Amino acid sequence: MTTVPDFPGGGGALRVVVVNGSPHRPSTTMGLVDVILDTLAGLQPIDTARVDVYGLGAAFTGALAREDIVAHARGIEEVLRQVENADLLIAAAPVYRGSYPGMFKHFFDLIDQYALANKPVLLAATGGGEHHALVLEHAMRPLFAFFQALTVPVAIFASAGAFDGTVLLDPRVHARIETALNDVVDLLRLRYAPRDISSEAR
Amino acid sequence: MTFEIGVLTFAEVTRDIVTGTLPSPHQRVRDTIELARVADQAGLDLFGVGEHHRSDFVGSAPSILLAAAAEATEQIRLTSAVTVLSSEDPVRVWEQYATIDLISGGRAEIIAGRGSYTESFPLFGYDLRDYADLFREKLDLLLRIRESNPVTWEGRFRAPLVEADVAPRANGDQIPIWVAVGGTPASAVNAGRLGLPMALALLLGPLTTHTETVELYRQAATAAGHDPGALPIGINTHGYVGRTSQHARETMYPYFAQGMVENHHQRGQGVIMSRAAFEAQARPASSLLVGSSQEVIDKLIAYHQHYGIGRAMIQTGFGGLPQKEHLETIERLGTEVAPVVRREVAALAASAA
Repeated sequence: MTTVPDFPGGGGALRVVVVNGSPHRPSTTMGLVDVILDTLAGLQPIDTARVDVYGLGAAFTGALAREDIVAHARGIEEVLRQVENADLLIAAAPVYRGSYPGMFKHFFDLIDQYALANKPVLLAATGGGEHHALVLEHAMRPLFAFFQALTVPVAIFASAGAFDGTVLLDPRVHARIETALNDVVDLLRLRYAPRDISSEAR
Repeated sequence: MTFEIGVLTFAEVTRDIVTGTLPSPHQRVRDTIELARVADQAGLDLFGVGEHHRSDFVGSAPSILLAAAAEATEQIRLTSAVTVLSSEDPVRVWEQYATIDLISGGRAEIIAGRGSYTESFPLFGYDLRDYADLFREKLDLLLRIRESNPVTWEGRFRAPLVEADVAPRANGDQIPIWVAVGGTPASAVNAGRLGLPMALALLLGPLTTHTETVELYRQAATAAGHDPGALPIGINTHGYVGRTSQHARETMYPYFAQGMVENHHQRGQGVIMSRAAFEAQARPASSLLVGSSQEVIDKLIAYHQHYGIGRAMIQTGFGGLPQKEHLETIERLGTEVAPVVRREVAALAASAA
């Protein structure tokens, strides 16, 4: 049985929001995400939005709590809500000093404690070498475990050598993206599939 | 299958660790040309000069050293190892190597690389942030010039060429152009897509370090419609052929360790490679081509069998090895190692056919 899932966002398109933890533009982190989004778009209609945490400005960096944002920075509040309302969140960051950058953590410090509960989150990271790869498992996944988010089992790492400039060339990373996204699509189809009445009758 | 063996030098100007004397640039230039002459006389296939823009090297203009070497040699092929193409003008590179090719009767070659040293970028007004784009664009232009004259071309980093006459043509019209790859997967994929021969730098670590790099290169070549079996792969490694196993290690170690200080930094400081670390690199399963003639023969054949390489270029004098020892090792490489490796590789190919 093949059905087009009807996502809560309406129109059948999956609302994908990328949270970009890289300060650079262009960046290898977004080079990696570009491939993820292109691949996902080939599997599933998507609407995408992207948050560059380093581009949010002083109202964001100076905020100590969500209340500051609500009171003084409506634009940032909308960005936070967009992330909280995504059907699929892609959390992507470069490795800085052994972990995700502080600005990336600051963004999630302002996210509501339960807003990401049970939300599918795909983890992606870039680093100078392969030895950084476990940042996905030892730093990023625990952050989303706090939120009780549903992190996708296959997370995606690419080191500097996989890129020509910011274009991802390494076919092994391309293959891993395919694997991760097939899992995502399976998961979302199950979650949003129309109910099968015959099984409910039993 | 033939197997080519060559030597390459960075033409270092390094203080002798025993005598403490610093050779003059003049001396080191003459030394470099002498290396080429002896390599030619010893029957080696290739002589390469690296490009470094610093006072501890005299090889900032390898094309000029190779032109001088052309006059001192008869058979050996002359190659850059490498041309830092990203900070060069490909028109000028072609003109220089085509001229060397004419001087030498068709013995010039270019190995184009992105460069692991970055001094040339500010010297010639390039921005390191364009590292990848510069190499891609300049290699494209160099290949276009090789393909046809006149050439029409447009890019980001230099003025466009419209029906431009780039002269002279090489002796036999073409010059071999290899791409140097340091093991970066993306570089191997790019070289494979272009269907260009790959010179793989394999400096330290297990002999099998670049297994996946070579697989990616061949896969990318196949995907782009090139015959991967027809694409040559070579390795560039450090090495020293001694009279015996012990003599080779004793001679190479102090200079190599000293040379590595520049290239092995920890906490912002150069670290001398320990003897134990060096010995580990000298083992049969490791990459360093150091040992007796027989040991080096065995390791070259191991390289050939593992990667399918048809060429090895060995950097024999890294770290300021004295000229006398340097000439001796080139002679052993040419007279004791190369003939056996060529014969055995041919025999392997015949038995496989």
